[in-house]
Amino acid sequence: MLSYVIRRLLLIVPTLIGITALVFSIVAMSPGGVGANLVSAEFGMRPAEREAMRKYYNDRYGLDRPYVVQYLKWLNKVSPVGFRAAGAGAGGGGFGFKRPDLGESFVRGRSVAGLIGESLPITILLNVVSIPITYGIAVLAGIYAARNRGKILDVTSGTLFLGLWSFPVILAGVLMIGFLANRQYVKWFPAGGLTDVLADAMPFLPGRDASGAWQRGWLLDVAWHLVLPVICLSYGSFAFLSKLARGAVLENVQSDYVRTARAKGVGERDVLMRHVLANSLIPLITVGAHILPALITGSVVVEQIFSINGMGKLTIDAINTRDRELFLSTTLVAGLLGLLGYLLADILYAVADPRVSYE
Amino acid sequence: MENRFGIKDFLLLLMLGVLIVVVLLAMKQYDRQWTVLREIQKQGLEQTRELSGIRRAIQSGGGFATRAPAAGAASQAAAAATQATTAPAAGDPFPLVRQAQQSPDYALGDWLVDNFGASVRKLTPLLGADQYQTIVESRVIEGLLYINPDTLEFIPLLAESYDVSKDGLTITFKLRQGVTFSDGHPMTADDVVFTFDWIMNPKVAAPRLRSYLENVGRCEKRGDHEVAFHFKKPYFNSVELAGTMGVMPRHFYGKYPPEKFNEQLGMLMGTGPYMLRDPESWRPGTRIELIRNERYWGEPGPFSRIIYNEVTEEVAALTMFRNGELDRFSAQPDEYVAMLKDQELLARTNHFEVESPLAGYMYIAWNQKRNGKPTVFADKRVRQAMTMLTDRERICKEVFLGYATVATGPFEPASPQADPNVKAWPYDPAAAKKLLADAGVSDRNGDGVIDAPDGSALRFRLTYPSSSKAYDRAVFLMKDMYAQAGIVMEPDPIDFAILQTRLENKDFDAISLRWGGGSVEGDITQMFHSAQIEDKGDNFPSYSNPELDKLIDQAKSTVDKDARLPLWRQCHRILHEDQPYTFLTNQKALSFYDKRIQNIKPSKLGLNYVQIYVMPIPWYVPSGQQKYKE
Repeated sequence: MLSYVIRRLLLIVPTLIGITALVFSIVAMSPGGVGANLVSAEFGMRPAEREAMRKYYNDRYGLDRPYVVQYLKWLNKVSPVGFRAAGAGAGGGGFGFKRPDLGESFVRGRSVAGLIGESLPITILLNVVSIPITYGIAVLAGIYAARNRGKILDVTSGTLFLGLWSFPVILAGVLMIGFLANRQYVKWFPAGGLTDVLADAMPFLPGRDASGAWQRGWLLDVAWHLVLPVICLSYGSFAFLSKLARGAVLENVQSDYVRTARAKGVGERDVLMRHVLANSLIPLITVGAHILPALITGSVVVEQIFSINGMGKLTIDAINTRDRELFLSTTLVAGLLGLLGYLLADILYAVADPRVSYE
Repeated sequence: MENRFGIKDFLLLLMLGVLIVVVLLAMKQYDRQWTVLREIQKQGLEQTRELSGIRRAIQSGGGFATRAPAAGAASQAAAAATQATTAPAAGDPFPLVRQAQQSPDYALGDWLVDNFGASVRKLTPLLGADQYQTIVESRVIEGLLYINPDTLEFIPLLAESYDVSKDGLTITFKLRQGVTFSDGHPMTADDVVFTFDWIMNPKVAAPRLRSYLENVGRCEKRGDHEVAFHFKKPYFNSVELAGTMGVMPRHFYGKYPPEKFNEQLGMLMGTGPYMLRDPESWRPGTRIELIRNERYWGEPGPFSRIIYNEVTEEVAALTMFRNGELDRFSAQPDEYVAMLKDQELLARTNHFEVESPLAGYMYIAWNQKRNGKPTVFADKRVRQAMTMLTDRERICKEVFLGYATVATGPFEPASPQADPNVKAWPYDPAAAKKLLADAGVSDRNGDGVIDAPDGSALRFRLTYPSSSKAYDRAVFLMKDMYAQAGIVMEPDPIDFAILQTRLENKDFDAISLRWGGGSVEGDITQMFHSAQIEDKGDNFPSYSNPELDKLIDQAKSTVDKDARLPLWRQCHRILHEDQPYTFLTNQKALSFYDKRIQNIKPSKLGLNYVQIYVMPIPWYVPSGQQKYKE
């Protein structure tokens, strides 16, 4: 097992190099190159101004050097093992372990690590709220459907979930804002953002203020702002997860050990809860590991619609402005988490099911 | 039997999870308290410093001349009442605000909640250089002068007066006494000189601004409250160049070396009527909140806070405006028309359609030279004919739904630079065909397609920026118009970054773009002077007219306005005759405002408060209608 894990971990390195090299060359091959957007971001710039900008960016980021050199330099910078910059740290120069550095965003002029550090918690918050909801509803619905196989509830929930699965998030989000957050129809939810304009002045918990008026409080305000984005994030996964749960339960219900248990006289309820359920959860747990990379990139559309400044919006912004350093780093982070997620899933298979072995 | 995962284990795990969440929430709440505490501490420190200053002043027996800031609506109403009888004094920096104060319901207070359609990346001046950063900066950092939107004259703001030398090479500013930055430090000539030197420092990441100011030789301190700007050569806009440079506090920005300054994102402090609560703490992604600067030297800003949200999704922004969560909405023509039909919305809002010299114009540029050879568009008659084949009225009506007018030249119709006698070329296909025939361009082989002089069919590509509905629609209309005349036009939408390289290499047949108006009196050298053809200049259609070149040079170096304006009008006439561009449209700015905001009026710059410029806000909310209380 250990040697398998080590082998897989070592394989991650060339895979990541491949991913970033691909992304790097796509950006480099895009017409106009990386710098094109930097100098054309503003309209009506005078030629002298544009030339000055171009020179400044070339000097600062080395954009006029060959692409291979630029890529290798970037790779060296982000890698924890490599050539140290001369004069930096105690050793100064030479080859060895060093601090990985994600570089500096072209457009925003600050460290990429800082940008990701600010956006990541927001995306994680969104997902930490929506994933348990998704799982809870989907698994319960799946089990229920399996127990009532072929009955009207099974069919309707299956159809409904498939319908939701095929409904595009981008449309759902806009419709929800237009109808559920609009004074013309019903104004139940806020239309965007994560907090109200007054949120900073709010107390933490809900309650009455000095004049006796009801105050929402900061905590409830955030929760209220999260409702629509969380619905958008979760509804699409119901179909997949509930079908998976339903299939697993059905398979187990028909297996020999269940028949044995029933023959022993174990109650139907105990059979389901103690035996079937425990075994049916295995595929759901392993699928969960695959969700890890989606933590980072899965909320791209939702964040854009609801004006939430998380990783998704950061990535889209980076692509739109051709902010190569930022874009490469978000790809790197998402890729790394994705590969680790797959590895975790494979390990979980072996842990959950003794028949699977990697020896 | 082995221990199995049971209900008890599940409950235990659940409780552990809840515990973690509670601890995280407690940390968050502690963080919020910490922010408030730091703020209070800072205020306390500032008050102590101020008190000791006052004590010193009392001990030395003087210094009572500084004016006490007016606070609260009541005292302001009283002030307004007394001012009602006194006419605005000459040289008063706040004529529009004084006018507003004359109305009986004038009051301070309430918030202005606005929206930016994009995320702001930086607030630090010089580095940001997008319009949103400029909008925020213009509330916080003031310049020596500002432009009065009603008269388009310069009004001294941080300067008390200014003087231009006879040769136009030196501008001297007398600075106002008693002006402090929002942290209480006095503003002096040192700060002005520092700002200029800082911009000119090649290590500071402001290459664009630097090249803009390259005509200024140096900025010289002449005493604590007097500075002089020395220009290398006379330039008509030199007063604007020097006077609108925002004065940055030296003690605040000078504490970092340039490399460190370049990395600052939210460093914003100045003398203006608004300020950031903490001038260094803003981070991208957080809401921008400006609060009133209670130390402001002049008339206090009417709103106690100005808030800029960053709602990028258009539907969400519109919904928020409908809900009353935003106070301002800039509409596209189709949105505007739809909103005008909504009676409930109209009852709660005011709407404005204004023309502004800052709005710019849309055009088609005809490339006259390609690969060193003149194109068919090198002939003036062909360009005039193309303009007459373009039904610009129809574009105004169908693409901009009537909220645009036909452009006649590079100057906005109301601008003093424009010659009012220039009439737009009419839509006249017959006359156009005749002109084309005169130029040797006609359908000679009778296949219905007009042939260029060399015998090939006259076809061209019209390049334009993709991802804009307005361009798409206008270009497809034009395709039909040209097709009716027997000219084949292929639409060629491309990404802006690529378009830029095509422009630099002059690799296009015709291109449709728009120029934004940069300032009140525009300088057309960049687009039409023949010196701008070479070296990747912006005269990308390679248009050249020696007479126009001479006029532009002359106008640019004429400091006297009355002598200069006729020169610009002559330029306008020449450009109308030559048609290097087919000038398409001047669009109107369409906006909706919440009804509680009073005194929004049209001006020569659009509305009487132009966000992207430094200017006092003449708007207000009467106390009875105020929505947000402190």
